[in-house]
Amino acid sequence: MKRYFPLLSPALLILIVIVAFPTVYVFYVSTQQWLLSVPIREFVGLGNYIDLLTGPDFRSAFRVTIIYVVASTLLTGTAGFVLAFLMSGNLRGRNVMRTIVVLPLIVPPVVAGFAWKFLLSREVGLIGGWFLPSLGLEASMLADPNLAMVSILIADLWSKTPLMFLIFLAGLQAIPEDLYEMATMDGTRLGSLLRFIVIPLLRPTIALAVVLRLIDAINTFDLIYVMTSGGPGTATQTLPLLGWKIGFNYFDFGQASALAVIMLILVVVPSTIIIGRFTRLAD
Amino acid sequence: MITRRSPNWQKALVYAFMGLYLMFVLLPIIWIIQGSLKTTAQALQLPPDLIFIPSFDAYRRILVGGQLDRAFLNSIRIAVVNVFLALFLGIPAAYALARWRSFASEQASFWILSVRMAPAFGIIVPMYMLMRWAGLIDTFWGVTLVHLTINLPLAIWLLRGYFVELPIALEESAQLDGANLIQILWHIILPMSRPMIVAVAALVFMLSWNEFLFAFVLTSESAVTVPVVITAIAGTMRFDWPLMSALASMSLIPAFLLVAYIQRHIVRGLTMGAVK
Repeated sequence: MKRYFPLLSPALLILIVIVAFPTVYVFYVSTQQWLLSVPIREFVGLGNYIDLLTGPDFRSAFRVTIIYVVASTLLTGTAGFVLAFLMSGNLRGRNVMRTIVVLPLIVPPVVAGFAWKFLLSREVGLIGGWFLPSLGLEASMLADPNLAMVSILIADLWSKTPLMFLIFLAGLQAIPEDLYEMATMDGTRLGSLLRFIVIPLLRPTIALAVVLRLIDAINTFDLIYVMTSGGPGTATQTLPLLGWKIGFNYFDFGQASALAVIMLILVVVPSTIIIGRFTRLAD
Repeated sequence: MITRRSPNWQKALVYAFMGLYLMFVLLPIIWIIQGSLKTTAQALQLPPDLIFIPSFDAYRRILVGGQLDRAFLNSIRIAVVNVFLALFLGIPAAYALARWRSFASEQASFWILSVRMAPAFGIIVPMYMLMRWAGLIDTFWGVTLVHLTINLPLAIWLLRGYFVELPIALEESAQLDGANLIQILWHIILPMSRPMIVAVAALVFMLSWNEFLFAFVLTSESAVTVPVVITAIAGTMRFDWPLMSALASMSLIPAFLLVAYIQRHIVRGLTMGAVK
């Protein structure tokens, strides 16, 4: 119906300029040799992709990204589920607990990263400078390649668990209470309660939580940048950090765009398929 | 699952676990707030003094600093303008997509949803080139427009989901009385949707306030936002812990003020309506 078009077109026009155009343009730029410092541009076909995929940086960043994404999804997902499961029981002070558990959700990731960097600092941090050394652990959390990833995962757990918690809580609350009552009356053990009632009923919720966390984790830039900037060395340099370095340190727009296209495909294809199924479920 | 009949040791275990987790959540927030109230020498002391005379020196340096109070003003202006633009453009668009059911509008809705799911990094390079071409690097309008790429799809998608569920009978009778779409939107839809609009506004404000990557790449001096300034100072070699802690603490204020509005709708917002 034509009469709806005037209402829709201003928003659509803006989105076409600021979203659709860049999305298409990035494919074009990725086929060009395009450095900010060199005025000559030329078509190089898949050259940027080949340079990127055969270089050592991409392989390392891809590996770090997989480690971070998988660990983050497992940690925040498990923590969110356990918290939601415990708090859907009969707990005193549930509302206060809920408010505190959700608190990190509204803290900017940059601030979360900074606060943990401060806490874990070998020089001035409560944990890194006092608690761990008093236990005899003298390593510097943020300067050791393996521990730096652990540090990021701790901050990540802190910052990203609340959303997982809220999604699981909503899912658990949708399970009819009679089912639990019956199960507990029959003396069902916790293990079988989870295995035969909770987890099967929660399957769509679990899938949604996992997809959202995967997408968000692949894209995470702020938390990692503020804590380690990808270091030490390239120990925590994920794909977005590598892309930022190529694009805005070396100003090699062609290769940065090639990486952007690879990331778009890595994220958009699986998420579109799964989200398409979920929106039908939600409607 | 804890019930009233659970044995005491189980209850004790659950409360102990929850207690530990709550400490884990509160520790960083308490740590930066106490850090912001210390002098540099006090902040460097380990183990920390639990009782000390608070110093507001760090806050004073922010508020009369020049660069730093400008970051706060920028962040507030960008977030407020984003709220207005997202609602002004998003409400009519969401209404059109909710009531105009056709193949084309379904496709448009789906595209808008997928924009929210796409990696920000995917468009940052062409966005930077676009902004350079338009002369909007390091300007208020540059950051504002780029934040709309996140906020406008979010606003449209959430409001569309809400409008779809509103009863259509009132609109139909208004149409019979000769009201046009703008009148219907203004006199019927808006009054019914006030809670959702407030929630979307709060969410847009928060996302704009927290956004880092775009603002970081597109600004250098005059349009910097609070997260950009925090990282810039956190990255310098000489750490000024009280100053950074004060900045970080201050950046929490809007979110804590808005939390009442946000909390009920944030899951819907961050999952794009997949969880209600």
